[in-house]
Amino acid sequence: MSKPAMQLVNLKKTIGSKPIIKGLDFEIRAGEVFGFLGPNGAGKTTTIRMMVGLIDITEGDVLIEGKSIKTNFKGAIQHVGAIVENPEMYPFLSGWKNLKQYARMVEGVTDERIKEVVSLVGLEKAIHEKAGRYSLGMRQRLGIAQALLHGPSILILDEPTNGLDPSGIREIRKYIRNLAEKENVAVIVSSHLLTEIELMCDRIGVIKNGELIAIEEVRTVENEEALKEVYIEVEPMETAKTYLDTHLPNAVGVGSKELSMSVKREEIPQILKNLMEQGISIYGVRVLQATLEDKFFDLIGENSIE
Amino acid sequence: MKLIWNEQIKLYAKKGTWVMFALLLVIAIGGGLITKFFGTESDFKEYGDNWQTELQEENAQLTAEMQDEEFGGFMNEMIIAENSYHLENNIKPQPYDGWEYVLENSFLTSVISLFTIIVAAGIISNEFKWGTIKLLLIRPISRTKILLSKYVSVLIFALTLLIFLLLSSWLVGAVLFGLNGLNPMVVQDMMTHYVHNDVLGEIAKSYGFSIVTLVMMATFAFMISAIFRSSGMAIGLAIFLMMAGNTIVAFLSQYEWSKFILFANTNLEQYTNGMEPTIPGMSLTFSIIVLLVYFAIFMGAAWAAFTKRDVAGN
Ligand SMILES: Nc1ncnc2c1ncn2[C@@H]1O[C@H](COP(=O)(O)OP(=O)(O)OP(=O)(O)O)[C@@H](O)[C@H]1O
Ligand SMILES: [Mg+2]
Repeated sequence: MSKPAMQLVNLKKTIGSKPIIKGLDFEIRAGEVFGFLGPNGAGKTTTIRMMVGLIDITEGDVLIEGKSIKTNFKGAIQHVGAIVENPEMYPFLSGWKNLKQYARMVEGVTDERIKEVVSLVGLEKAIHEKAGRYSLGMRQRLGIAQALLHGPSILILDEPTNGLDPSGIREIRKYIRNLAEKENVAVIVSSHLLTEIELMCDRIGVIKNGELIAIEEVRTVENEEALKEVYIEVEPMETAKTYLDTHLPNAVGVGSKELSMSVKREEIPQILKNLMEQGISIYGVRVLQATLEDKFFDLIGENSIE
Repeated sequence: MKLIWNEQIKLYAKKGTWVMFALLLVIAIGGGLITKFFGTESDFKEYGDNWQTELQEENAQLTAEMQDEEFGGFMNEMIIAENSYHLENNIKPQPYDGWEYVLENSFLTSVISLFTIIVAAGIISNEFKWGTIKLLLIRPISRTKILLSKYVSVLIFALTLLIFLLLSSWLVGAVLFGLNGLNPMVVQDMMTHYVHNDVLGEIAKSYGFSIVTLVMMATFAFMISAIFRSSGMAIGLAIFLMMAGNTIVAFLSQYEWSKFILFANTNLEQYTNGMEPTIPGMSLTFSIIVLLVYFAIFMGAAWAAFTKRDVAGN
């Protein structure tokens, strides 16, 4: 496993007396696209603000390439490119001049580099127009260009597909995958839309009410490793349960006849064999092709904003 | 530094900034035209070699006029007083010229203060308004440096306006009234008495002193902008205080502590040309110390607010 590009260590944020983020612990590796998923008000933006030092960290730390954003802000932030919430620009400056502003704030961003980034996000035509006249999608692209200028090793995008048309979303998705795979950039993408994030992420962290409630590897169609929901009709239930409690802790009984568990496809034959060896009769096996979306809703339940 | 360059680009990319320069130019030209066509003729009068006799005759005539008419006596008295000053000190009166126009226009520095306040008030809060502050603060540059670059930009802007005012007043003055040499002497009415100084020194002094108010009010607006992140509030408060400052001081001058009020100290001119300080017991050193303390407080508060506080929400 590659070394973590970013590490969150027991990250907490309290505003007033209200705990907003309640201790996040996870890491993002170089070259992966990490989806940061959560309903409205879950604390995604707040977490991202802490990652980039816009707000103080109440407790814990964020380490970027091993450097603490708290104690070594410059050392840490130089590896980061980000859009926080909406991509805001100086409306009275052209796209190009907006980018020049940020180019001047770091060493070694040449005009060639700016052009390169502009063509990457496909803004060549409009780059000399005033940013105030840009559509939301164009601003989003300019925002991404701005974040990429200095060739960061970590890219943080808060709802990057917000306001993009389907083809725009597809392009950005392709581009993000490219960055991760070819340039080994760690990309963090926040969203409350699972369908969107599922298609571009390697892993998804689900956050709700300031707590990380799951981290999932994203399965792809050909991914045999992915977990599946398996229902097995058994008898007698008691014996089956005892066996499962000791060997498959994540399985549960459903009703009086069925067991349910998430396992990998390749594990199913072995489980069935083991059950039969225990003298348990099997009347049926159902494999549910549960989508991540079901999972997501299972995990977060109703979105009750605290 | 590149950050300052960035700020200047942002500043001059906005129409409002150019409007400020244009307004200043219009006022300079307009003021010149008004002085030229509606000014008192005695100011423009050129005197010959026998200027002493001419002045005496003029005084006699004005005195006679005053006895005939009930009104307008005040103007006449002033002219007589000035003429007498020339006679007593043996100074030949010079016609009004471009230099004097520049000197007179030093009152326009309050317009510059106004513009500078507007810019200082906006330079931080606008970044919040546009949301660009988030992009500004996630660069490998400390917040202190960003704050400083903005402050320095405000000062550079004020200085640019000042130079612009000087140049345009001088040009307008030179075209409309001509120039009495390179550095002529001028007589100024100090209310209680007259003084006679070389004009460049006087220009430097009156513009120089006005810079004190300008810098203090700009710093004040800058601080409010950093603390409240709202330009309206910063502009409103700073302009209100600038306008009401002297009234406040006058109102409170009966109290001993009123001499510690900022506005009692911003006008350093009160210690020159033999004028009385606003509140007895004040001295130049005292005022400078008070000003420095205020300045330090303003900057400290702006710095604390800008570097320590969370940047969250819209
Ligand atoms: N300055 C603040 N003061 C008090 N509460 C705040 C503040 N900022 C954020 N919150 C609260 O923190 C919680 C998380 O907000 P955050 O913006 O991080 O959510 P989010 O996950 O980005 O949501 P969305 O999907 O809507 O963008 C919300 O409940 C919000 O009310
Ligand atoms: Mg958000």
